Amino acid sequence: MAGESQIQDRVQAKREVRRIKNLPTVPGIVAKISRMVENPETSAAEVGRMISQDQVLSAKVLRMANSAFFGMSRKISSISQALVILGFDVVKGLVLTSSVFDMIQKSMAGLWEHSIGCAAASGAVATLLGRADAEEVLVAGLLHDLGKVVLALNLPEEMNLVKEKLKTGSLLFYEAESQVLDFDHCEVGQWLAEHWNLPETLAEPMRLHHRPEKAVVKPDCTAIVHVADIIIRAKGFGNAGDKLVPPVSMAAWETLGLRKTDFLPILEVLEPKLASLCDLTSIDN
Amino acid sequence: MKRIPIDKAVPGQILAEKLARHDGVLLANQGAEITEGLLRMLSRMNIDTIVIEEEESRSAEEVINEYNQFLADLEARFIRVNDQQVLQALKKTLIFLATKARDETLALINIPADDSSPFPQKALNNQAGGGEADGR
Repeated sequence: MAGESQIQDRVQAKREVRRIKNLPTVPGIVAKISRMVENPETSAAEVGRMISQDQVLSAKVLRMANSAFFGMSRKISSISQALVILGFDVVKGLVLTSSVFDMIQKSMAGLWEHSIGCAAASGAVATLLGRADAEEVLVAGLLHDLGKVVLALNLPEEMNLVKEKLKTGSLLFYEAESQVLDFDHCEVGQWLAEHWNLPETLAEPMRLHHRPEKAVVKPDCTAIVHVADIIIRAKGFGNAGDKLVPPVSMAAWETLGLRKTDFLPILEVLEPKLASLCDLTSIDN
Repeated sequence: MKRIPIDKAVPGQILAEKLARHDGVLLANQGAEITEGLLRMLSRMNIDTIVIEEEESRSAEEVINEYNQFLADLEARFIRVNDQQVLQALKKTLIFLATKARDETLALINIPADDSSPFPQKALNNQAGGGEADGR
């Protein structure tokens, strides 16, 4: 159990991060969509029109909607069509991803590739498990490491110390972060999720993808992102900051009811997707 | 495989994915060769990109070196989890797939099977270790 002084320290550290550099504000358009979606009277067409006003953003969202992620046999040609086919939450996640894409690209070489890889792996695991919410789980995989982005952009000196610690090759990224900062990207992800008012489908995997057994609201989604993160690191696709495969939480593994033989079909689905997704590495073009 | 814009496609390339119209109607199967006629049809239908098989530009030696490097990197990535059976199964599956891909690529490069070849078939088979994925 953490002592009172320890809790004090953590509260202090959290305040510090906010004070030194404010957490990035939620992209305006994401806040707008959230408000619109809260109103049950809002139609897909209305939300579609709002997003479509930003043509650059819409183009990025449509490019992801038509990518190998979702394997659509028909081309999605408008935002309102994407809303109908993929649902509000998925499109909102894609809008959020498109808005922070530059941030992710700038923060750490290879992190975007790790993110799209983890997204594709999350989708592959969710599909194998026959889950109806595979698209939502995929978006959770896409955004799970957003805490790393915030840390890299806001605490560059501390993150250089983290990189120094990682040179030994025996530490995982979150362990090095904890040693330097006394908190890690999962906690920063949690603050960000609270600050941005993100749904639990995104927030819990951001917070608990390294401790999925603690998940209570979306335990399956969190467990899938945990396993997907391991699979994509094991493949060596992208860069999560360290070069190690983290241990799998057996509790999460058992929650999902996965078997060891499931890795083969998952990887066989994943391989061609990753090859096709390489063109998402610069969604600006 | 790689996705290319339609204006970069040339006849003779091989489709790596089946090609369907926006309404789902199949236009060409995976493995089909791209022709002038197909390209004209695609531009009429506003299909912007296609996925083609990449030509193998590596030598057999490069393919084998890359494979060996993959195995070494894989071992290094797994150092913290060698005691977890589930993740050992993941490692074995990755080795199985990498070995399969290596052998398919080598078959494309079409190494002569006679002993004068720098990579006789026998030597390749000996390197094919790694084994099968669990339970398959």
